Amino acid sequence: MNETTYVQLLDLACGVFLLAAVLVLWRRRLAAIVRLFAIQGAALAGLVAVLAVHQHDAELGAVAVGILLLRAIALPILLRRALQAAGETRETQPLVNVAASLLAAAVLALLAYAVTQPVVRLSPSPASHAVPVAVTVLLLGFFVLVTRHRALSQLAGFLLMDNGITAAAFLTTAGVPLVVELGVSFDVLLAVLVLQVLTTRMRAAFGSTDLDELRELHD
Amino acid sequence: MSVAGSAFTVALGLSAAAAVAGLAAPRRTRPLLVGLGTTAAGVAGVVAGVAALGGGSFSAWLPDLLPLAGVRLALDPLGGLFVAVTGAVAVCAAVYGVGYVAPNAVEDGSHGDGRAVQAMLPLFVAAMLLVPAAASVSTLLVVWELMALTSLLLVLAEHRRRAAVGEAARWYAVMTHLGLLVILAGLVGFAAAAHGESFAQLRAAAGGMSPAVRGAVFATTLLGFASKAGVVPLHVWLPRAHPEAPSYVSALMSAAMVNLGVYGVLRVGLDLLGGGSRWWWLLVLAAGAGSALYGILQAVVAVDLKRLLAYSTTENMGLVFIGVGAGGYFAATGSRVLAGLALTAGLLHLVNHAGFKTVLFCSAGSVLRATGSRDLDALGGLRSRMPVTTALFAIGALAASALPPGNGFVSEWLLLQSLVHALPTSATATAVVMPLAVAVVALTAGLAVATFVKAFGVGFLARPRGPGAEQARESPPSMLAGTGLAAIACVALAVAPAAVLPGLSRAAGAALGAGAVDSVHGPVTLRLTGFAGSMSPLLIAVALLAAAVGALAGVRSLVVRRARRVARLWDCGAGPMTARMQYTATSFAEPLQRVFDDVLAPETDVDVTPTAESAYLVERVKFQARVPDRIEYRLYRPVLAATRMVGEAARGLANGSVHRYLGYGFFAFTGLLIVLAVIR
Amino acid sequence: MTASGALGAAAQVAVVGGGSPLLVGLMRQVRARMEGRAGAGVLQPWRDLRKLLRKEPITPAGTAWVFRAAPLVLAATVLVVAAVAPFATTSSPLDRIADLFAVAALLALGTVALALAGLDTGTAFGGMGASREMTVMALVEPTILLSVFALSVRVGSTNLAAIVGEAVRDPRAVISPVSLLAAVALAVATVAEAGRLPVDNPSTHLELTMIHEAMVLEYAGPDLALVEWASAMRLSVLLGLLTSLFAPWGITTGAGLAVLPLALVVFAAKVAALGVVLAAGEVFLAKLRLFRVPELLAGSFLLALLAVAASFFLG
Repeated sequence: MNETTYVQLLDLACGVFLLAAVLVLWRRRLAAIVRLFAIQGAALAGLVAVLAVHQHDAELGAVAVGILLLRAIALPILLRRALQAAGETRETQPLVNVAASLLAAAVLALLAYAVTQPVVRLSPSPASHAVPVAVTVLLLGFFVLVTRHRALSQLAGFLLMDNGITAAAFLTTAGVPLVVELGVSFDVLLAVLVLQVLTTRMRAAFGSTDLDELRELHD
Repeated sequence: MSVAGSAFTVALGLSAAAAVAGLAAPRRTRPLLVGLGTTAAGVAGVVAGVAALGGGSFSAWLPDLLPLAGVRLALDPLGGLFVAVTGAVAVCAAVYGVGYVAPNAVEDGSHGDGRAVQAMLPLFVAAMLLVPAAASVSTLLVVWELMALTSLLLVLAEHRRRAAVGEAARWYAVMTHLGLLVILAGLVGFAAAAHGESFAQLRAAAGGMSPAVRGAVFATTLLGFASKAGVVPLHVWLPRAHPEAPSYVSALMSAAMVNLGVYGVLRVGLDLLGGGSRWWWLLVLAAGAGSALYGILQAVVAVDLKRLLAYSTTENMGLVFIGVGAGGYFAATGSRVLAGLALTAGLLHLVNHAGFKTVLFCSAGSVLRATGSRDLDALGGLRSRMPVTTALFAIGALAASALPPGNGFVSEWLLLQSLVHALPTSATATAVVMPLAVAVVALTAGLAVATFVKAFGVGFLARPRGPGAEQARESPPSMLAGTGLAAIACVALAVAPAAVLPGLSRAAGAALGAGAVDSVHGPVTLRLTGFAGSMSPLLIAVALLAAAVGALAGVRSLVVRRARRVARLWDCGAGPMTARMQYTATSFAEPLQRVFDDVLAPETDVDVTPTAESAYLVERVKFQARVPDRIEYRLYRPVLAATRMVGEAARGLANGSVHRYLGYGFFAFTGLLIVLAVIR
Repeated sequence: MTASGALGAAAQVAVVGGGSPLLVGLMRQVRARMEGRAGAGVLQPWRDLRKLLRKEPITPAGTAWVFRAAPLVLAATVLVVAAVAPFATTSSPLDRIADLFAVAALLALGTVALALAGLDTGTAFGGMGASREMTVMALVEPTILLSVFALSVRVGSTNLAAIVGEAVRDPRAVISPVSLLAAVALAVATVAEAGRLPVDNPSTHLELTMIHEAMVLEYAGPDLALVEWASAMRLSVLLGLLTSLFAPWGITTGAGLAVLPLALVVFAAKVAALGVVLAAGEVFLAKLRLFRVPELLAGSFLLALLAVAASFFLG
């Protein structure tokens, strides 16, 4: 493909990627959060696919397919199943209300841009110009992790962080070795499974999956 | 390869083989195999050390053994001395250990013949042999840590039998690792300033470093090495760990491991840093003097036999530090002959101490095994039940109290000579320090005599004070053999110290960075070089023997009636005295405890229980008197209490809320990013 | 090593061995006369020794080889010191083998032997005597060694013959501040080591006030004779050391055989004079409580330290 198409497709994928993260911050219905996470996974896969086509790298293409399978299909299915087991549909009032969260998101985006300037300056290219987006998604995921009550939303935040890290990795380097990507994916899968079990147990013990209930265990 | 190199390699190989035997052999043959292997390794170590002392050094460079840095070994006369001493002590301890771990009638339970403990012994010996041979910073640190770990596991050998073992091991573990940290900091700083880590590079670069850097390196490494040598105030692990370890391990630790602290000070301070300024060595001297006095004071009032011997180790290491400090001080002020004399005195005392401390700890172990008790107040009467052990302990006690014809006297005489001859042409600092040092050595000597009269007299003579001592039996032959070897070495050093003097001169010379400094010589009479002073330990012993024989002959010729009658002891007419009426160790030391009351701060606890009917009638009185280690109370407990307070305050940071924990992470991460963004 | 030197050493031993009971007898006689008694005569200690040698040898129940060997060790140490020290001549052949540090250590060895014998008896008195004796000895050591240090500075050696020879050559050095301070310190140390008043009363019969006597309480017969003789020799050796170091007139430094008898006579006279002074002083002194003795010894330690300081700043 030629250069302008490449840049446009790249920017499109990154835009969808970022928008999905911001919407996760905004929406309160847990089912919507899972759906947004699936969309983001697809955007990430598209991003990697664009890079693969631009660099004519078959292995990267295989990685893109793998990301699509894992993050856009498998993980959302697991999350939806956990949601059904938990049986609740809405997030309770988050620690920071929605307006403040969006403001915080803006500040975090600025911070991400400021911090990644040296990386961008190092090798200016369309891919490295998109690195701040990935770091923004990372910070947004961390923020979601910190300010949500329900275990599922926190899980979503954790997965957002991982998506952001993966995107940053693919944008700065020419991708990571297949082995590393496989290892990281396996880790993420394991984390999701563990948290699913935790959610079930919490529901059985406390009747809800509010993580603040865990405070009862403090002596 | 030279003799030293091949013997050293053989020693290491035999240790490894013994360790494998310890892991693999069945229980019946395990102690014997490990003992044989360790003994052979010790003999090879002695050969290597003596060869290195004789001038044949070796060096080796093994780049693949340690990642990143490689292993660099080199044995010069100074290292050779310590290798020889370690090897000799290992021989005695290993022979002793073969009999010690066998089960006996008094105690049951595991005796330290388990696989782990038996395999650790040769590894410990190997690590102690490697420390003086290390020739780069990383090698030294790795083998130092290996030595610490293996000795820790050996201290824990009897942890199932007594709860105190675990506590002692904890103190030892923490203090030895803190010492390692400090040594690491000092040596790594040195290597960074010198842009290289092998000792040759450090030596070459030391001249160009600023005095502040050199002083900082010396001060930090001195802290670590002084702690290993058991010098006050970093000694608190010694009187806890040595009594709880099996006796042959205590002998190894007291007679071989603490020497390596002295080795570290000599190597880093004198050899690598090139001598440095005078305040370094005044610090070493002061630490040594404080140690000697405090150690012997605690030993005088100690009632646990092994604790007494542990504090005696602190005292003797203090005396060695006095010699080393005086030597370094004289070297820094330019009097090389005096420096050589002081260093030779310190090193000779180190060698003598290794000999008699092995004898003492091994005999104490025999007593413990035969009677089941270390408490001097419950011992006694062992001279008829354990005659050989009594005789061996007497040899060790004579040496430890620095009286002629023992070997401790020779090194103490040399030490005093080196301090006394400093005065005539010297600065005011010397004029103040040397008399005080002589006074400290003198008071220490007097108190040491009192300590060992107490230990020998109360522990072995007269009648048994407890049931354990009454049914004591003599130890098995291997234990007697191990102790006897060390005793033979003590006797040899007492009558012919001139045999080791050339080697010591070369070691002192290697430390001072020159050839051999010949400060004392003479086959029979020791004569000082450059100063007027002579003494002949052999002739003194011969003269004493001749005079005793003469006195005996004289009395025999004058005595009219020959038949001896056994008579009752004087009991003021009240009837035969019981064994409980004898003086105990506590009562023997009580006058000295009263004199030094301010330093020792003994604690007494009186608990009066009145009867139920009236508060004026007493049902039971409980009296408890202890002499705690005052430095531990004043210095260590506040530190531990403060740490505990900080820990408890920090618990408030963890209140159970998952959000708070996640928040810590988030704010730390974003804070760091903000800082990065601002700085760039 | 010369013939006169060897003869001198042998003669010193003979004089000390034969004369020390006489010295003890003289001191007791002086005390008796000053206290208004007739006294038993100067030869009484020899009569006592003869009586004891004729008695039956006794072994107290429960004692063993340490108890039997201790008097021999004590006698041996004192005999060696008597042979080595330059009482009458500085050219003894044995003088090379020992210096002041070694002499002090040998005397300490004798004390240790007796202390172990006291502990070996297994009685409370033996233990008490041993404990007290060791306390006093431990506190006397610093004074002795520091005084030796002070005396050695001017000469540059701790060798007894060198110090005494230097004092013989230059008698005015004896009156220097260093020498005087060291003399007083060593005098107090001698009184403590020899077990005289005010540290210990050698003629007490109350067991609880004994230090030296309590250790030898169980000895009887020939063993007691040996102990008494050795203790008397120890006293004369200590007084002899004091006179040789601080009143060295009459000691021969040369190789002449003719002056030797005169030197021995002068030595005997000096020791006798010092003994008389000591005995006379004891009449006016009471024994100190055991726990006041460390204060006395601390005072002597201070004097010795001042002696060393003076030797640096003034010497």
